[in-house]
Amino acid sequence: MIKFYIDSKEVTAERGETILQVARREGIYIPTMCYLPKVKPIESCRLCVVEVEGVEGFVLSCQTPATPDIRVITNSKELFAHRQNIMRLYDVNHPLECGVCDKSGECELQNKTLEFMVDSQEFSARDQKRDIKDWKYIQYDPSLCILCEKCVHVCNEVIGDDAIEIEYGGYKSKIVPKDAPTLDCTFCGECIAVCPVGALISKDFQYSANAWELKRIPAACAHCSAACHLYYETKHTSISDPSPKIYRVKNEYEFTNLCGAGRFGFDFENRGAKRDEVEFERALEAFKRADTIKFTSYITNEEALILQRLKEKYGYRLVNEEALAYKRFLENFSKTSGKSLYRADNREIHESNFVISVGTALKSDNPRVRFSFNNAIKMNKGGGIYFHPIKDPVIESLGKSLVSVNHKPLKEEAALYLVLDMFASKESLPKELSQYLDSLRYEKEKIVEETVKEKVTQKVKKKVKDEETGEEKEVEVEETKMVPKKVKKSITVEHTRLLDMLDAPEDFTDRLEKILSKREKSVLILGEDLYTHPRAENLARLAGLIDRHTDFEVMIIPPRTNSLGVALICDLDEESGEFAVGYNREADYVLSATGDGDLDMPALNQQEGTITNVDRRVVPTNVALPYEGYVLNDIARALGVSEYENTIDFTKDLPTERGYRGIEFDDLENYFTNAMEEKRGYLLEIKEVESAQGDIEEIAELPEFNGTVVYRCEPVLQFSPFTAKSHQLSFGGSLVGSAQFALAAKLKDGDSVVVRFGNKEIERLFRIDTEMKGTVGILECFDMGLSYFDILSDYRYKVTKITKKS
Amino acid sequence: MSKVYFSCWRGEIVDNRGKPKEEWAESAFNFPENYNIDVASKAFIGWDGFALFDENVDVVRLAAEYAKQYQLYSEACGRCAPGRWGGRILYDLFDKIARGEGEKSDLEHLKEVSKTMMETSKCEIGKTVPKPLLDIMEHFSEEIESLIREKRASKDYGKEVNYIAKVTAPCMDACPAHVDIPAYIEGVRDLRFDDSLQATRKTMPLAHTCGRVCPHPCEDACRRANLDEPISIMELKRIGADFEDEHSLFWLHPKEQKPLNGKKVAIIGAGPAGLTGAYYLALEGVACDVYEELPVLGGEVAVGVPEYRMPVEKYNKDIEAVSSLEGVRFITGKRVNAEDMRRFEKEYDAILVATGTRISKKVRAQNEREEIRGYWPAINFLDCINLYVKYGIEVPKEIREKQNLDLDKPYVDLSGKTLVCVGGGFTSMDVVRCAVRANAEKVIMLYRRDEATIIRNTTYEEYHEAVEEGVEFIFYSAVEEIITDEKDNLKALKVNRFELIPDPDGGRPQLKKIEGADFIIECDYLVPAVSQSADLSHLPEEWEIEMTSWGTIKTDGKTYMSSRKGVFAAGDCEYGPMTIVNAVGQAKRAASVISRYVHSGEVTLTDEEIMEDHLRSLKVYDKKEKITGWLPGLPRAVSEKLTVEERKDNNKEVNLGFTQEEAIAEAERCMRCYYIAMVAI
Repeated sequence: MIKFYIDSKEVTAERGETILQVARREGIYIPTMCYLPKVKPIESCRLCVVEVEGVEGFVLSCQTPATPDIRVITNSKELFAHRQNIMRLYDVNHPLECGVCDKSGECELQNKTLEFMVDSQEFSARDQKRDIKDWKYIQYDPSLCILCEKCVHVCNEVIGDDAIEIEYGGYKSKIVPKDAPTLDCTFCGECIAVCPVGALISKDFQYSANAWELKRIPAACAHCSAACHLYYETKHTSISDPSPKIYRVKNEYEFTNLCGAGRFGFDFENRGAKRDEVEFERALEAFKRADTIKFTSYITNEEALILQRLKEKYGYRLVNEEALAYKRFLENFSKTSGKSLYRADNREIHESNFVISVGTALKSDNPRVRFSFNNAIKMNKGGGIYFHPIKDPVIESLGKSLVSVNHKPLKEEAALYLVLDMFASKESLPKELSQYLDSLRYEKEKIVEETVKEKVTQKVKKKVKDEETGEEKEVEVEETKMVPKKVKKSITVEHTRLLDMLDAPEDFTDRLEKILSKREKSVLILGEDLYTHPRAENLARLAGLIDRHTDFEVMIIPPRTNSLGVALICDLDEESGEFAVGYNREADYVLSATGDGDLDMPALNQQEGTITNVDRRVVPTNVALPYEGYVLNDIARALGVSEYENTIDFTKDLPTERGYRGIEFDDLENYFTNAMEEKRGYLLEIKEVESAQGDIEEIAELPEFNGTVVYRCEPVLQFSPFTAKSHQLSFGGSLVGSAQFALAAKLKDGDSVVVRFGNKEIERLFRIDTEMKGTVGILECFDMGLSYFDILSDYRYKVTKITKKS
Repeated sequence: MSKVYFSCWRGEIVDNRGKPKEEWAESAFNFPENYNIDVASKAFIGWDGFALFDENVDVVRLAAEYAKQYQLYSEACGRCAPGRWGGRILYDLFDKIARGEGEKSDLEHLKEVSKTMMETSKCEIGKTVPKPLLDIMEHFSEEIESLIREKRASKDYGKEVNYIAKVTAPCMDACPAHVDIPAYIEGVRDLRFDDSLQATRKTMPLAHTCGRVCPHPCEDACRRANLDEPISIMELKRIGADFEDEHSLFWLHPKEQKPLNGKKVAIIGAGPAGLTGAYYLALEGVACDVYEELPVLGGEVAVGVPEYRMPVEKYNKDIEAVSSLEGVRFITGKRVNAEDMRRFEKEYDAILVATGTRISKKVRAQNEREEIRGYWPAINFLDCINLYVKYGIEVPKEIREKQNLDLDKPYVDLSGKTLVCVGGGFTSMDVVRCAVRANAEKVIMLYRRDEATIIRNTTYEEYHEAVEEGVEFIFYSAVEEIITDEKDNLKALKVNRFELIPDPDGGRPQLKKIEGADFIIECDYLVPAVSQSADLSHLPEEWEIEMTSWGTIKTDGKTYMSSRKGVFAAGDCEYGPMTIVNAVGQAKRAASVISRYVHSGEVTLTDEEIMEDHLRSLKVYDKKEKITGWLPGLPRAVSEKLTVEERKDNNKEVNLGFTQEEAIAEAERCMRCYYIAMVAI
């Protein structure tokens, strides 16, 4: 620990911590324009200069680590003068269009111009025409851009898209899409969030409201299990319509991130619902008649608890297939790991330098985890393995130290066995298991290419003067040269059949060797493909063993927003009975937040309550938009299982035996500290549970898929019928395949097709993705309405029949 | 010393205004008074002030042009607010005054903006550009104010004056290859390792090698040393090269190779100078045939520098980068003779001699003869060891016989033997440390001077690592006589001891023999490694190529052409035994000159090169300069090394290099000391 002083306050720093970081942590203000705590110091604005006693000149606080006993002064007459001059320079030619600028009222340039009392543009320089760029959801105005570089850094260092860069040109510098004619990225919109001025803005929000008119509601994103922190910003809809409307979403961009679905897909509320007493009576009758409640994981913990109470009182079967599969997976994981829950969270991945992912299309399934993965690879110079049947160029672009293994569907057991084989201490593993791993090993001839220098002797004709006669004559001389030559050589190496089962690339071991030598902190990420896998039980137990016998921390990503909460709170049933009430599910009687059921329910942006997210954190969310219809608690009251007035009265009753704490909703924290600590709700407690080593099965020989195989996976920005409903993301789902897939399925780009699987059939537009490879197609389903939730129970890969629509 | 009309530089002001030219006082600094042989300079302006060589210089225009140069520089950067906008305003306002449209308030603005730029800019270039401008405003205020008062344009405004500018930095200036050091460090800092390597390769193709074994003169000229400790410049260089290697990004050349233009050059020697010459000539579209005497490429660095210090696999990467270019052809195992040279002169458009210095000088002891069994010149000793260690090439039988080696072993095994090396430079360090690894029972280094000098001549690390590995150093000593037996086997050495007698006049202390302190060392080998000389027997006598007094090829040290037209020389055969980076720098320059010579037959330098030489003679680094705006006390990053036990019996690379975290932290210490210098002619 380094002790030093800022403005005579004694403070301490960790080794390497900068003066600015300490100041922020201690709540001491130092002005900045380009500083973004979540990326490396950019150092372009120079506003954060400070004085250090005994040091001549000014020291850049964002970049300078603290040294012992220095005395830092953050403000003085001279510092003020310089900062004022820097602001004067920033203001050179900055367009005076604050009146119509989207950023007005929350603009850093405006704020600092005010703070340093720059009241006129004293200098000017001849300007040039700068064209406004239209980048889909984003607009870039280079004349407003102050080149702070935050957007470029966040895109590369945090998100991993690395989609924009600065085109250097002194006074003409601007932001441009990197190696592309227009912006081609995953459209997370973080560049908009971090832009201190009005240069990068949301096109949808432009000219719709002044920043200061908006009301900010802190909430948790409803779209995936990351449940990221965000603010819904609302205002009345129009002069004639006083009802509030969400205008945009913002996030605490200094400390945390948000993906495009959260940022752009915000208006999924159930608008116009009223208290229809007649319908409510019908609903109660349906409940009385029903023996089953079917529901989704797009509900709060409190609603899940209400459903559980209903079950306890009336014996309903609670059916939520996706959450049940996840719950079972967690239980089997506990059986071998001895822990009630997995331990890894996003911070853990963020700080690790080796990450393995199995069974998840990370880019689509959980962007937050992808961002953390990016940090591990790029910022921590780590490496990783991405096991997935579908090659993903976005994931592969995270870095060369990430090895992509595109195995066939159903081969995930081999992947987990491989992790054990590579990383578990063999002595501690159950004997049968290490014997099994040994039995998979064999000696293999491997062809290696070596460059050797080969001696080549050439006969060259040369003219030589005969020393006696003085005549020139031609003689043949041998000239030797060493020529580098590639030769193939065969060597014997120990190999495991697991790699063959996984179709691992030839250079798998070689590529990993270097990466593994630097491995310090490792995380294994498991995803949705595994929970509905025919071998899910064995996979979960293998994961438990990995947790127990390797230094990997494991993360088991909840497949939907609150699957973890539902899995912990509800006792779930497998099969529906005779008569089912559906909560956002197709059923005999339907409660719906999408507005197309029998009785209206509020969407998650109209509810308060908590969500249990992927980080095992119980996070609060609040009501962004008013809802005038009935809520689940009203039904519970009518059916006598609730005496509470509000749903959030259940927060304190969440089951402590599952790791929840008896805290009142209103006592939950919901903010980030300047030291980047997340103070949102609380973390579930992990308990030790009884465990056993046995019952692990060998890899099963599963029959290979025959026919046209598709993988259920949503496109980036989409998660469910809720994202599909929002106006900025109103595009439909497709069937996507490689050229090879198109050939095999006899399809052309743009064909309308009918995809049949099980007893379902959906119509899709077929699209060829030239970056895709292999024969597995991607089936996007998010826009199927409530019937979407019915297909979540199946294995994500399915054999389908695809016919062209006539 | 320079004759100036007016100058203001590093606190010295020379003001000869109003005096007749004969009475002008001189400045102590070597300003570029003459731009080149036939062109005189009018003025010089740079980061610390300016100098006028003639009374008619338009100082306002000079200031405006200097500000414009910064503007041009920042076109390629623009990475901080004060620099980006401040530079623009400096230029606009000076130009406005020079146009005759200036106002009094402009002067105030100029001063204010200058002050902020000087205190807060990101790199030294933004901090120093305002300095000479403020100096001009101070010393020539009357001239400036009269323009403003009379709304008059300055006298040269709109006229054709040639201004030539160059960006430099203390480290770049001190580096014989003038590597753009701040740029490659910035690449590391920004995690843009490809940019980093490309910045290095602009002037230094051997990034792996000079990221490992360079004696880094740049670090002696690092301004950070004025504050605390110099940046670990050398080691940051290998980050980019290792990145290319680890990620198989072959090859990150600094620019696209030009198509071959039909011209070709013969290069004699494939050491650092030959490789560098081939690299930059080929990039310019000139084909090169590189002739190498040894069976392997790389010259002395390949066979001299031991594996543990410079893994050959890494050096080969540098060599592969050269050979990846079209038109580069290597012919190994070919000793070029005078007859070949005569032929080359006809067949090629130019010849670059880069044969190094491969004759070990004698230690000047009595009875010192090549034939003695156990007398083993350093160059041959290292050849024998390293050709086997690195390439598996066996030690020739006749050498094994002559040096009493085990005839059953194809390599040098010194088990049970004592080896004495006489030296004190890098080569002798390589000898003793290789001897340790060849299992020698005892290894002794005799050196005439003291420990501090040996460290200065090599590096601290090198010396300490040798001591750790068990090499015995005997200082203030020299061999008087070599004692042999009847079969002419080396048996012992008679060694004199010396003491240092300080010169009462403050000169260099003198070594004086201590009478009666002589002693005998019994040993099996004596390896002379005091210095090397050049073997230039391949130069045809009738060419009468001029030589220096120490037997190297004489050139002008700028264009590197010898006294014979079309024959150039670079590296140790020109300079005498020196460093890799020196050879690279010379060969890079020679390649540039040759690339023009093959077309025009003229020997010319570019403006960039002329300025490079001027600045070298002015010296960019100022040891006494006080550094402001940086917090002292951040320690220099030290990379992890193998421990003695891990390294002394093998040839694993000793230096493991920086981790990413260390590299970035170290790069963050760099103060980006770019400067602009400009000459008006």
